[in-house]
Amino acid sequence: MYEILEKKEIAAKNVMYKIHAPHIAKKVQPGQFVVVRAFENGERVPLTPVTWNRKEGWITLVVFSRGKTTLRMNMELKEGDKILNIAGPLGNPAPMKRFGKILAIGMITGIVEVYPIAKAWQELGNEVITLHIVPEPMILLREELENAVSRHIVESFPLKEGMGMPEIFKELVTRGQAKVKELIEVEKPDLIFMVGPAGGQKAIFDVVKEYGVPMEVDLHPIMVDGTGMCGACRVTIGGEVKFACVDGPSFDAYEVNWEELIARSGFYTDLEKRAMEDYLAKLAQGGVQ
Amino acid sequence: MMAIIKERIPTPERLIEERLQGFMEVNLGYTFELALQEAQRCLQCNPAPCIQGCPVHIDIPGFIKKLRENKEDPKKAVKEALEVIWACNTLPAITGRVCPQEDQCEAPCVMGKVGEPINIGKLERFVADYAREQGIDEELLQEIIPKIEKKKEKVAIIGAGPAGLTCAAELAKDGYQVTIFEALHKPGGVLVYGIPEFRLPNDTIEKELEKLKKLGVEMKTDYIVGRTVTLDELLENYDAVFIGTGAGTPKLPSLPGINLNGIYSANEFLTRVNLMKAYAFPEYDTPIKIGKKVIVIGAGNTAMDAARTARRLGAEVVIAYRRGKEDITARIEEVEHAKEEGVTFEFFLSPMEFIGDENGRVKAVKFMKMKALEERDSKGKRKIVPTGDTTVLEADTVVIAIGKTTSKLLRMTMAKIEADEYGVIKVDEKLMTNIPGVFAGGDAIRGEATVILAMGDGRKAAKSIKEYLEKKANNT
Ligand SMILES: Cc1cc2nc3c(=O)[nH]c(=O)nc-3n(C[C@H](O)[C@H](O)[C@H](O)COP(=O)(O)OP(=O)(O)OC[C@H]3O[C@@H](n4cnc5c(N)ncnc54)[C@H](O)[C@@H]3O)c2cc1C
Ligand SMILES: Cc1cc2nc3c(=O)[nH]c(=O)nc-3n(C[C@H](O)[C@H](O)[C@H](O)COP(=O)(O)OP(=O)(O)OC[C@H]3O[C@@H](n4cnc5c(N)ncnc54)[C@H](O)[C@@H]3O)c2cc1C
Ligand code: SF4
Ligand code: FES
Repeated sequence: MYEILEKKEIAAKNVMYKIHAPHIAKKVQPGQFVVVRAFENGERVPLTPVTWNRKEGWITLVVFSRGKTTLRMNMELKEGDKILNIAGPLGNPAPMKRFGKILAIGMITGIVEVYPIAKAWQELGNEVITLHIVPEPMILLREELENAVSRHIVESFPLKEGMGMPEIFKELVTRGQAKVKELIEVEKPDLIFMVGPAGGQKAIFDVVKEYGVPMEVDLHPIMVDGTGMCGACRVTIGGEVKFACVDGPSFDAYEVNWEELIARSGFYTDLEKRAMEDYLAKLAQGGVQ
Repeated sequence: MMAIIKERIPTPERLIEERLQGFMEVNLGYTFELALQEAQRCLQCNPAPCIQGCPVHIDIPGFIKKLRENKEDPKKAVKEALEVIWACNTLPAITGRVCPQEDQCEAPCVMGKVGEPINIGKLERFVADYAREQGIDEELLQEIIPKIEKKKEKVAIIGAGPAGLTCAAELAKDGYQVTIFEALHKPGGVLVYGIPEFRLPNDTIEKELEKLKKLGVEMKTDYIVGRTVTLDELLENYDAVFIGTGAGTPKLPSLPGINLNGIYSANEFLTRVNLMKAYAFPEYDTPIKIGKKVIVIGAGNTAMDAARTARRLGAEVVIAYRRGKEDITARIEEVEHAKEEGVTFEFFLSPMEFIGDENGRVKAVKFMKMKALEERDSKGKRKIVPTGDTTVLEADTVVIAIGKTTSKLLRMTMAKIEADEYGVIKVDEKLMTNIPGVFAGGDAIRGEATVILAMGDGRKAAKSIKEYLEKKANNT
């Protein structure tokens, strides 16, 4: 059991948890993730430690209320509560090398995964520029990033009345693509790294590949165990089937079969919607506290 | 002398219609009276071939005799029978349910020559279940525990599957301080994430695990050895280590379309349903998506489990196997149950390609039709060759159940442990790996095996560990 030492909303729909997990704090490296099962009837969801303190034995996670499980965590968990299971760290650490100039991009909550990696790369002597592509209310870690890297850029826009997910996504992509194009031309990065939804990663990659800049992406296929046991997270990389949880999560963007990844990420959309509606209905009836 | 009863006393089973409504256990097991009738059929052979047929050599006539001897006092009968079984096997409620008895103890049973072999599996299960219901195992445990002499040596067990659990139990009974490190949130290995509840209810496993805790075994779940803690760290803090990590990675054929939506590895499919209870979605958060037509590829226990699970989720199910009927590797009971539950079988079909729709979801599977030759391979199975004819079967869900290999994570994070090219760990006759003090057993050293073989390894490794630790203590 893992006690929540602190919980706070750090941006719209984004909640930060500071959690007591000494054995994970001791081991975690930038680029790794954990698998969290918060409730007895909960799902196992992969999340990324953003900061950690090896001595004090805690990690922080930032959870975006995306579907039922994450919304439920953000609604129901309180400071002092205990999370049932956190397993990790999982996945391979990000390669710690001198690449030169790096453009590290995070779309929406993807920036939380960029943060520890970008920070470590900067400390290693790289020149890191971070770019956060995000709707305004969801801007997060701004100050932290400004302190950690050479330059932090936020490409944001206000949310207008009636903007649904498709409109928001379109706006993210259009603005993101334009900004990345500009940055590639002006800054001439040696490496581009990106975390975000698969569709967003693909859209940015489409711009990057025109310039032929090397690009790494942390992939987020649906996972169950996170230890290489189930095969849910399989992705095709350079024509070969890989398991993102043990072979990744980081891969060469040029090798990824994007269509397949996007299709696989959306497989449960209708069921997820049903789960969410069911949960919201229960909330409305006061069924959960 | 009583007349020989040639037929076995059948065990009651749940009605088929009722089975398909949920995940309740199908076989209901013997009552004391029925168990006694079956026990009466045993010839008490000496030497007893059934003992040789059992991979861990349970004294089968011995425990059967105890049941019969004390028939006036069921509690006494079961307690003494349980004692005999525990000498070789601490998890009889599990083996009694999942062992392929027809290939093991029951195969050479002398009664099989004149009629049907003794129903050894169901008798074993009866003893375990009755003991649990009546608190007899608890009594026995309370008698054992005070006699345990605590030792100072600490042993780490990696993986809480049957191999690891058995090794832990044996060492704990000898007084060693045992800690199990398990990657998942629940201990049990394949028993909890793979084998469905209609064959092995979760509370049966939980009760068996409670016994371990009472013996003083510490259980750390959410611990991935290699990531959360390294093998080297374990070696610093423990006097010996046992690796029982199983064969956790699904084999997936490299065929076109393998990553289409709707194609599950059996591991994922069963884990979603068993461990995460996707059948109760949305009450449980983990979804599973199953269409109307399911094809399961393979014909082992895993394939039967996936097929019967899919039936319970409401689909029509076809098992497609590249060999013939006689080469099915699943337990006979499961094949029978699958047929009763409406699963159909297609033989001599080998998948060639998975065909998807415009949304990237599987809609059909293209198969090569195979045929068998008279010639046999090293495993005694008839060789199969393609006929050149193909066929296409429609499906909106496909479950691949063609086997597993050892976990890659292990290979990546414990490179010092010698293994073959498939990651199967190499051990000597004492089950010790190339690293002194590190032992291994179960699927991790066998590729893929059975519950009882994994448990047998666990026991054997426990014995070796004991010898190793005693020798070490004497040398210092
Ligand atoms: C390596 C990795 C690191 C991640 N780090 C973070 C993080 O730090 N913060 C954060 O907010 N989110 C992170 N995510 C995403 C997070 O796991 C999903 O948002 C979450 O699982 C959604 O669950 P849900 O039930 O709320 O939503 P659902 O309604 O179930 O799903 C919404 C969408 O989330 C994705 N998703 C659903 N279940 C899973 C799953 N089990 N595994 C992966 N994706 C899933 C799918 O694309 C799905 O369409 C990470 C994902 C991965 C793979
Ligand atoms: C669906 C299915 C049905 C089956 N049916 C039968 C049957 O009817 N009869 C039968 O005899 N056999 C059956 N088998 C085979 C049998 O289950 C296995 O042979 C047996 O479970 C092997 O036991 P094990 O202890 O070696 O490994 P497992 O049961 O695989 O357990 C290994 C454990 O180690 C954990 N682990 C792995 N890596 C790590 C790590 N790095 N750190 C910590 N923990 C780790 C895993 O999470 C797992 O819990 C079946 C198998 C399957 C998949
Ligand atoms: S072989 Fe059969 S009849 Fe003989 S002792 Fe064993 S179980 Fe009894
Ligand atoms: S999440 Fe199961 S294999 Fe990667």
